[in-house]
Amino acid sequence: MRLAALWKLATPPYTFSRLGTRLAILYAALFTLSLVGVAVVAQIMIWGHARESVRAELATSGAVYDRIWALRAKSLAGSAEILARDFGFRTAVASGDRPTIESAIANLRERADVSNAFVVDLTGNVLGNGPSDLRAAVAKVPSSLPDNRRDAVIQTGAGVYRLIVSPILAPTEIGWVVFAVPLDAREMRALERLSAIPLTATILHRDANRHWVSAGDSITPDPDLDDLVEQGKGTGDAAPATLRLPQGIAFALARRLEGRGSQPEAALLLSYAQNKALASYWSLELGIALAGLLGIVLVLIGSRRLANTIARPIAALDAAARALEEGARARVTVEGSDEIARLAESFNLMSAGIAERERRIIHLAFHDTLTGLPNRTFFRQQVEAALTRANKRGEKVSVLCLDLDNFKSINDTLGHAVGDALLRDVGNMLIQIASDGIVSRLGGDEFGVILADRADEDRPRALAQEILDRMRQPFRVDSHTVPLSLSIGIAIGPADGADADILLKNADLALDHAKQDGRGTFHFFEPALDAAARKRRQLELDLREALQTGQFRLNFQPIFDLKANRIDGFESLLRWEHPIRGDITPGEFIPVAEDLGLISGIGEWVLHEACRHAVSWPDHVHVAVNVSPLQFRSTGFANIIFQALSRSGLAPSRLEVEITESVFLEDETSVVTLLHQLRSMGVRIALDDFGTGYSSLSYLRSFPFDKIKIDKSFVNRIALDTSSAAIVHAIVDLATALHMETTAEGVEDRDQLACLRDQGCTSIQGFIFSAAVEGSQVLDLLGKRMTAAA
Amino acid sequence: MRMIPALLCALLVPAPLHAATVDITVHNANGKPIAGAVIMIDTPRKSSAPIHFTWGTEIAQHNILFDPHVLIVPVGSTVTFPNRDKVRHHVYSFSKVISFNLKLYGREAVPSVLFDKTGIVALGCNIHDAMSGFIVVVDTPYAVQTDASGHVQILGVPAGDATIRLWHPSVRAPGNMLEQAITIAPTGFAMAYSVRGK
Repeated sequence: MRLAALWKLATPPYTFSRLGTRLAILYAALFTLSLVGVAVVAQIMIWGHARESVRAELATSGAVYDRIWALRAKSLAGSAEILARDFGFRTAVASGDRPTIESAIANLRERADVSNAFVVDLTGNVLGNGPSDLRAAVAKVPSSLPDNRRDAVIQTGAGVYRLIVSPILAPTEIGWVVFAVPLDAREMRALERLSAIPLTATILHRDANRHWVSAGDSITPDPDLDDLVEQGKGTGDAAPATLRLPQGIAFALARRLEGRGSQPEAALLLSYAQNKALASYWSLELGIALAGLLGIVLVLIGSRRLANTIARPIAALDAAARALEEGARARVTVEGSDEIARLAESFNLMSAGIAERERRIIHLAFHDTLTGLPNRTFFRQQVEAALTRANKRGEKVSVLCLDLDNFKSINDTLGHAVGDALLRDVGNMLIQIASDGIVSRLGGDEFGVILADRADEDRPRALAQEILDRMRQPFRVDSHTVPLSLSIGIAIGPADGADADILLKNADLALDHAKQDGRGTFHFFEPALDAAARKRRQLELDLREALQTGQFRLNFQPIFDLKANRIDGFESLLRWEHPIRGDITPGEFIPVAEDLGLISGIGEWVLHEACRHAVSWPDHVHVAVNVSPLQFRSTGFANIIFQALSRSGLAPSRLEVEITESVFLEDETSVVTLLHQLRSMGVRIALDDFGTGYSSLSYLRSFPFDKIKIDKSFVNRIALDTSSAAIVHAIVDLATALHMETTAEGVEDRDQLACLRDQGCTSIQGFIFSAAVEGSQVLDLLGKRMTAAA
Repeated sequence: MRMIPALLCALLVPAPLHAATVDITVHNANGKPIAGAVIMIDTPRKSSAPIHFTWGTEIAQHNILFDPHVLIVPVGSTVTFPNRDKVRHHVYSFSKVISFNLKLYGREAVPSVLFDKTGIVALGCNIHDAMSGFIVVVDTPYAVQTDASGHVQILGVPAGDATIRLWHPSVRAPGNMLEQAITIAPTGFAMAYSVRGK
């Protein structure tokens, strides 16, 4: 019912953001509601009881009044009778002795304390003083009263009077003594004083319209009043009614007063003002109200305290949760064992869990999972911190970058499990040795050490050496004995870099240098390294641009067939015309392209370009293309060849792929498989630079090359040096025996040509015949030479 | 006050000249017979002969009562008031006919009073308020009280015009007396009176 409204009061739009306030208000509101209910019930009961008791009191008072009324009549009648029976008085009346009668009446008035007394004789003469209206009425009353009636209340122009009639017997009636008591205010007050309760007695009479009114019209015509008076007709024992009287609402009782005839001329109204009647209950109501107010105050205080005991831990939890939200470590004090306490406990566990996970996340963020060492991020931060510190104190910070040599091959051959174990071992070893520094794993097989050495300037070098010395002993992992070597680059800040990134980069450069120095060494950073690195970086940028903008082109060096005396092919040579630096040799940019992974793209372009040119040449002229080991090993190389052939329409037999022995360094089997695949397509395979590097005759056995190219280092000295001539001779014989052609490179003069021709070399290349020409000049060259040869 | 003559039946019986019988019945409004009512018939011609009633002229006080309660006496009678009680009485009357006081007396004296005017004399005792008696002083021989059944028969009343009077203490009329002019037929006169009284 109204609870909903109350709840609305305690909830939005009246939002109390504090739980305690809301609880307190709810409790107080509920209590107030029940209190109001109790008060209403109490009020109703009090009123009911009050009305009943007032009615009962009034009824009792009514009965008492009846009795008083009768007593008064009897008393007056007694007084009158005494006179009426007095012999002398009777004598006087009988003899019509007016002076005597009047003096007797005066005497009686005083004795009985009545204002009006009369003697009426049988003929209706009235003796005694009084208002004329009254006298006229009194004259008629005695003879008109019914038998046995000795009193009557009459209404006259002079007011309402109560008449007491006492006959004068001598011994028959010879007259009457009549008392007329005015029922005026004085009489009413006297009557009221006899009551135990503060009643108001009022005499009513009928007005011209036969409505009951009071003298002076203080009580005006009122149907309810008429009903009340008429009610008392039969029994005279009417129930009290509630009336609206001039002095306010009152409980009232009416008594019809018998008059001369059958209809009463007057009535007595006993009224009990409601406010007076209920006055005694006010203290009770006040008591209830005060007790209620006190109760509400107590409940407010109590519920507030209770609500606070409930809400305080929740507020604490709330605060802790906020703190946790902002990242602070929050803990709540657990009190008791109720739900909130359990919640607090859970919160603490949760908070601790979050803190623990956070710690682990932070650890993971800054540490390497494999070795447990700090990672690159952490390392970089530490370098930065150390640099800052060092700058302030004027000290130095050394950074060592360490990289395992050939670690990839260990991973490939022994498996990642062994590789991981080795990395852990190396890490542990570094921690042991570099106990004065911070060891981190920077990624892969790369480690770093920070040395914030303050005193010992030689410490970086000594540490590097100690590490390298330790590395001489092989590591043992799972019954494998693995020899490992390691290169170290050292940079010392702030001289080699005031900034962590620069210092790290320079240490890396030093490391690269150490690797170039042949591995298993350490190298300090030098500014020159930095310059070289910058140059290379520029080259890298230019190389990407070159491929996109077509700065590459192919030149062709003719290959002259010594038997047919004609050009039977061209070796395609890659040229890069740098817009600023001019021509850059393949030896300079190919390694860079290989490092950048651009080599496949470049190699593919070369193949397509070579085929495109060659298709326009005579059918007997083939084109040779150099393929780097990286390109050769790249997946889909055979497919690239196929595409170049099919797009250009060049016969496969006119394409000659030149590879070096180094392709065999890794996985000879797959290389041979690929070579056979190319052969089956019809492509020719030439082994380039034969005799240099790790030349192994076994390669010649494993694959039947179409041609062996004799390196120019042998050709250069063939005419001067017998040993060179012997080697060339041996190579040519070997090739001939294996049914392979031979091409001698770098032929520069006629002596060399003569020697080669003598030894049975199949073809030659070199300045003696022609330097490399541009593609557009190939056909001219072919025509000229053919003519010349012819 | 009204008198309601209720003519029941006029039994016209031939009677001797000059004399007729009058039958009167008295009852109250409820039809209850009224005993002790005094019926008096005044004829125009008064009898010169002295009037004498059989019941004498004594009214005694006996058992705190007047005995008889009502005494009819001819005018000029002297009535004696013998006291037959052990207590004394103070007999008085304030009647207009006569006013007298017989102050306290016992058995030793028999006071008497002369009644020389006609009328109703109310008697009382100043000691005993309840004592009430009446002396009806008449100048007609035709006066008698109704019996227990409220009936009275008067013989030998001269026929012709007459006035009939009815008295009883309970009659509500001046002097408790009703009066009616009647004509008495030679055959007699009969009338039933219904009186309204106390």
